[in-house]
Amino acid sequence: MPQEYDLTLWISRYDPDTRRSWVQDYRLQAGRILRFVDIFRKINDEQDPTLAWSSSCEHGQCGTCGMKINGKPLLTCELLVENAVRLFKTQAFTVEPLTIAPVIRDLVINMEEAYARVHSVKPYIIQPAPPHPEGDEYRISPKVLETYVDATRCINCFCCATACVTQKNYLGPNAMLANIVRLMDPRETAKQERMDILYSEQGTPRCRTAQACTFVCPKEIDVAHFIALAKEGRCA
Amino acid sequence: MVAKKLQIDSVLRPEVLIIGAGGAGLRCAAEICERRPGTSILAVTKMYSPQKSHTSTAQGGMAAVDPNDPVDKIIYHMFDTWKGSDCSADQNVIKKVCEPAWEQVLWLERHGMHFSRTQEGRIAKRPFGGHMLNFGKLKACRACYEVDRTGKGIMDTVWAESLKHGVVFLNRTLATELLFRNGRCTGAIVLMEENGKFVAVLAKATVMATGGKTRMYQVSSNCRQNTGDGLALILQAGLPVMDLEAVQFHPTGIVGPGILASEALRGEGGILRNKDGEPFMERYAPTAKDLAPRDLVSRHTMTEIREGRGCIHPDHKLPHVWLDLRHIPEHIHKTRIQEVCGFFRRFVGVDPQTQLCPVTPTAHYQMGGAPTSEFGEVQKDAKEIVHGLYACGEFAAASLHGHNRLGTNSLLELITMGRVVGERVAANLHDAEDPGDVPRDAGQHVFPQFSRYLESCGKERYARIRDELCVLMTKKVGVFRNEKNLAEAIEKLGELKERARHTKLAGTSVIMNQELLHFWELDHLLNVSMVIAKSALARKESRGAHYREDYPERNPEFQYHTLAYMTEYGKVTLSRRPIDMSIFEAGGEHYERFAIIERKY
Repeated sequence: MPQEYDLTLWISRYDPDTRRSWVQDYRLQAGRILRFVDIFRKINDEQDPTLAWSSSCEHGQCGTCGMKINGKPLLTCELLVENAVRLFKTQAFTVEPLTIAPVIRDLVINMEEAYARVHSVKPYIIQPAPPHPEGDEYRISPKVLETYVDATRCINCFCCATACVTQKNYLGPNAMLANIVRLMDPRETAKQERMDILYSEQGTPRCRTAQACTFVCPKEIDVAHFIALAKEGRCA
Repeated sequence: MVAKKLQIDSVLRPEVLIIGAGGAGLRCAAEICERRPGTSILAVTKMYSPQKSHTSTAQGGMAAVDPNDPVDKIIYHMFDTWKGSDCSADQNVIKKVCEPAWEQVLWLERHGMHFSRTQEGRIAKRPFGGHMLNFGKLKACRACYEVDRTGKGIMDTVWAESLKHGVVFLNRTLATELLFRNGRCTGAIVLMEENGKFVAVLAKATVMATGGKTRMYQVSSNCRQNTGDGLALILQAGLPVMDLEAVQFHPTGIVGPGILASEALRGEGGILRNKDGEPFMERYAPTAKDLAPRDLVSRHTMTEIREGRGCIHPDHKLPHVWLDLRHIPEHIHKTRIQEVCGFFRRFVGVDPQTQLCPVTPTAHYQMGGAPTSEFGEVQKDAKEIVHGLYACGEFAAASLHGHNRLGTNSLLELITMGRVVGERVAANLHDAEDPGDVPRDAGQHVFPQFSRYLESCGKERYARIRDELCVLMTKKVGVFRNEKNLAEAIEKLGELKERARHTKLAGTSVIMNQELLHFWELDHLLNVSMVIAKSALARKESRGAHYREDYPERNPEFQYHTLAYMTEYGKVTLSRRPIDMSIFEAGGEHYERFAIIERKY
């Protein structure tokens, strides 16, 4: 196994000042366990400080560094060079921003509208159930929690929304999931309002059951399973 | 090319400005809204959504004594915090944070946090390092948790509550200068990265909650954005910072990314080994071995590395030791340490069941920060506060942690102190002075600063200076410190700052210019590093996470908080703030436990 790989990256660029878009190729050597975020940093440090890209925690917990690598939406902090070479069977990669939002510069996109869809499903408890008679916490059995806990792991990285076959007038898998969590949460009483969101024109009717969401989810959440539950009315 | 003239593009006038929209900032926002519905709050964050804040990466739990617990008592928790701090936390703050802890757990639970549950459906709890019953006798079970993503649960909850109350967010926005009028803070100038516009935000109250700052170390568990911006703003305004010498290093960071490999791995039997395979902790701590306190394990790991018994990672080129998990039974790998082991697989391509895992101490947490009163009001010296300016969370030092923090006390602090500040802000808003117009001297710092970045010429390279800074801080102002190294570090920091003035931007756009952001951040890292080094040089003793090889013992002469001012780079003025000992002085039950005690585990 080589310790270094010769990589070629075709990176989508966009300059907001001149409104020019182009694809720029970068060639570099990288160790097998460097991550794609490390490679972008290496490009900034050694070749081109103007390349703009987003990341934050860089260990798969915040969902800031989602991009399309050879067409697949994923978190670039989790993609090691050797895994990428194995997965895509090549040492040349196209790097594009997620396609669900307008580009600000290079790989950085404006997430305001995309996130507004998550806000629109009200990710809080709309109408809380009355507190437990003894005054302390609600009682939620582990068995009940188990039915929806996986859906609470979503980090809104929008990889699923990028992969989804429905690209228009749809809340998107992640916003659907945020609503489903509260539908299944016994502390929420505003179930009707949640159902209305779920079955609205931008909700379940737009899902075409392609399961791309589940396929690409970096947190390995079976998103399609939860949406299927919702479609069958087995959430509340 | 002459850069275009920088100016304030527009003015916003919320009642409250929150700088940093993580767990503490948004808990504060929620409290203000609950107490004073309809308050207009503007929160700015460097992230593209507040949900991305670094709070969301906290793993372990949030400490709170459940009143239904038959054996645990709040006084034990207060004692553990005092002892853990190496007797330099403030006792009024300990009381203020520990007493309402359970109430705050309930607040989170009722607002939708998905805590892990017991079979009876109640909030589950787990033991954690340093938390004991009966004043250090037995392990206590008081960390409430959401699997191994407690921080995410907290972040999602306070973020969603803020949305519910209509808090307005300015995402990808940098706070670049605090504004003052007659000594009162009246807001800040912010830079919106996505359109490159400077906006003056004028508010009756400004809350700073910008989190940690440890990106000046080679290996750090902090996110890319934690570059000390908040502290730099405080210093720029001529205000002091406190106890910056107290930086916590977690012993087992995963080499490269610096991600924490939780203490749980050693709890389940993981063994630290040097390059010869020797389980070296047996030599240093024959009884506690690998489960000795964090600061000790970090120091001994660094000793192995310094004495040539560490390894160099072939890909990340960083020194490290090994964490051996190979002997741990498969079922434990599968059920109890799956997530963390997953980090090794995912980030360094190592299978912990069959291979050794590379780990190294990682800069993790700042115990110090902006000094505040017990109500989170930012102080201008040991006694006086700055009106209109508040701070909470990791950014603030009230101080709950003194010179060392216990695990799970950070999440507790950001929630309880976020609430305390929210309560204070809400109470003060009623008759708070109107911030008036944009002060005439607004922009006096930020515009020359950014003009300098945009116009500067020279052959120095940003990345090289950043890398040299990280190596310097790790080697000379890291786990081990001594007079010679600290003095050398201070001198080198001066050189680095000078070299940083001779870097040239490749592009001078102000719209989403990542390189420009890096220049700004590098200035902050350099400024804060200088204060860390000078504070560490002045504290000629070892206390908590601050370890001086030349003064290995704690010294009662240093029984105070370090206050440091720096308005000109390198010219640090040091001062002191007394440590509050009100629990001890009140003389109530068990008061003697809160004397200056020995820290032994």
